[in-house]
Amino acid sequence: MAGITRRRFLGAGGALGLTAALAACGSTAPGGADDVLTIWNNLDNAQQNDYFRTHFAEAYRGRYPVRFTAKSGGTIDRLIQTALAAGSGPSIIVTPGPSSFVSAYYSAGYLADLGPYEREYGWADVFAPWALAASRVGGKLVTLPTSYESMVLYTNPATVDRIGRPVPSTREEFEDFCTEAKGKGYVPVAAGNADYKGANEWFVGVALNHGAGPEAVYSALTGETKWTDPVFVEAIDRLASYFKKGWFGGDVGMYFTNSFPAIYQQLASGKAAAMISGTWEFANLTPYFGAAAGNDATWQWSTVPSLGEGVPKVVWDLAVGQSAGVNTNFRDTDAAAGYLNFLTTDRKTIVEGVERMNFEPAPIRLGAGDFSQRADPRIVDLYSRLSAAKSVGYTTWTFFPQRTETYLINYFENVITGRLSAREYCEGIASRFDTERAEGRVPTAPKPGGEL
Amino acid sequence: MTESTLVAPSQRRAAPAPRRGRLWGKLRDRRISGWLFLLPLLLFNLVVVLVPSGFSIWYSFTDWTGISGKANFIGFGNYASLVRDPEFVQGLVHNILWTLFFLIVPMVMGLFGAYALSRITRFRLLLRTLYFIPYIVASVVNSSIWRSILDPQNGLGDLLGINPLGDPDLALWTVEFVNNWAWWGFLVVVFFAAMQGVDRSLYEAATVDGAGAVRQFFSVTLPSIGPTFAFLGLMTIIWSFLAFDYVFILTQGGPAGSTDLLSTVAYRDAFTNLQGGYASAVGVVMALISGVVVTGYLIIRKVRKWET
Repeated sequence: MAGITRRRFLGAGGALGLTAALAACGSTAPGGADDVLTIWNNLDNAQQNDYFRTHFAEAYRGRYPVRFTAKSGGTIDRLIQTALAAGSGPSIIVTPGPSSFVSAYYSAGYLADLGPYEREYGWADVFAPWALAASRVGGKLVTLPTSYESMVLYTNPATVDRIGRPVPSTREEFEDFCTEAKGKGYVPVAAGNADYKGANEWFVGVALNHGAGPEAVYSALTGETKWTDPVFVEAIDRLASYFKKGWFGGDVGMYFTNSFPAIYQQLASGKAAAMISGTWEFANLTPYFGAAAGNDATWQWSTVPSLGEGVPKVVWDLAVGQSAGVNTNFRDTDAAAGYLNFLTTDRKTIVEGVERMNFEPAPIRLGAGDFSQRADPRIVDLYSRLSAAKSVGYTTWTFFPQRTETYLINYFENVITGRLSAREYCEGIASRFDTERAEGRVPTAPKPGGEL
Repeated sequence: MTESTLVAPSQRRAAPAPRRGRLWGKLRDRRISGWLFLLPLLLFNLVVVLVPSGFSIWYSFTDWTGISGKANFIGFGNYASLVRDPEFVQGLVHNILWTLFFLIVPMVMGLFGAYALSRITRFRLLLRTLYFIPYIVASVVNSSIWRSILDPQNGLGDLLGINPLGDPDLALWTVEFVNNWAWWGFLVVVFFAAMQGVDRSLYEAATVDGAGAVRQFFSVTLPSIGPTFAFLGLMTIIWSFLAFDYVFILTQGGPAGSTDLLSTVAYRDAFTNLQGGYASAVGVVMALISGVVVTGYLIIRKVRKWET
């Protein structure tokens, strides 16, 4: 382990100060011991933790044994930040995606340059180009995407039958569907953010990519269009109107107090007609449907409807759900990069994890032929189509810089409660985005057709 | 019979103190031995409180991200930004409302509860325990219980037709209510202990003078526990500006920032926006407010000549 430099001492002191000032305690046990590779991760449940430990950590036969420590989703980022500032932290640093923390960690010197290993392991041929591009900071590859996801529309087929409208694929169909569902006493779209305020950005992302359209979003991400353009203002305004009509979560107030289990229960019990969320929900829905829940309910997914004029009917919102890099505090970067390669590209282990535990796979090229007979056909269908996607959208937690993303999350609540107009909200996005763009903190995005 | 009784009074004199040197003599000085006992705690405080606090003050004058050792001095830049920051101003206003609530509601409830407790003799211990239980239960447990109770679909919210945690106009008061539910029992116990120390003859004299329970409370009890009352008021103000857990667990500062306090603003700036220097400035402002309150209390104590 490297000695304590003045810089690290100051950083550690400051982190300690912040921690004390905020009364936010958390373990910062050293994770960078020389004889073992360490990784902290936040998975959905104990079963997933056990599986990850056995198949993604202990099963690895590298230079060092891998030690996995489970952390809660609500605290892992804070724990890692504090540990890094104190000159410690796990050997493998995970983040919620390239938007969050990656740029800052790299600027602070905590993430190793993975460029040499990109050539050694041939990652350019393994990963989806957009995912690898989004993982670069200033042109340098500093993390690898360990999971990818997209936004979809979930429905309960039995409920859809009762409502008597088709699963919507256009704005008109979506509005008819919600009007009909609301009129019949259903919650049109189960939604809530009581457990996780970040849920707000899922819907903002849907408004931008499916309401304003990926062309417009790409143009704004590259600085050609302003976020105050009417196409964005209208898209946000329309989404806010959906919330105010009570289509999302029942009503605006309920949206703030609905927990995730309540949402899943609403969909399974037929109280809610649909749910718009990410593909990470595959793992979460299982306990509420079918044999596991003692009912005969089923769920199905479809692409998020097009909600704007001239927007393609099918847009796949691309998202890196988690990124992982190598802690510069770990002395053997070669060994850590080797493990990172296993974690993200070992096709057999990854596919089995998807089939058995509903893990989200790394964005490597997966086709239907990669899955076995036991795989859930809904999941095979998703990843096959997602891998071949030509019309792509941009999730805020992958392609937007961090402070802009935080603003998007926090101030969207002001829009749906009528405290802020859609235009003012877009002005807030624009001002933060411009600053962060000037600082070079906007991740690289692929073109709307999927090409770089 | 002891040996001393065998000695004639004229022969009695104090035994010479054992000769253990000047150091021992100094150690026997109560002031010095007191400091010696305090020393370990003082050193501990220096390391875990004063040193990080010093860093926080330093970082509040920098553009530190919170994760990197690199920090550029920017003078009062962060403090100037605070004044223009609507989130900070909103958090400060909420903190003031929070403080006013806790200076009034739980204090009145605590005083009333303690006085009522002091007037009864049966089940006193049981009631004190019952009042105290919510205080010792972890805030995360209390919050979860109340979140279920207030649930707009299956709980009290459904019964009353309201959604207290989902309504921006009600959310702050609801979180305060939940926090107060856990807090006021503590005040009851402290006030009750203070009331036990009031000279009983004062009550007897007041009774002889024809004063009823209410008059006795205002004319005897309240003036007698003045120092305790002032101390708890002081602590309430300090604790109010440090409030974080109930807000974070119940609403995360929402909806629409309606429950944001300075602490949640600082937390977000530090750990989400990676503006450690700015978050430190918010923390320093919180500390300054508490410092002003403590100074005020010390002045009042000196003027009023309170012993406690």
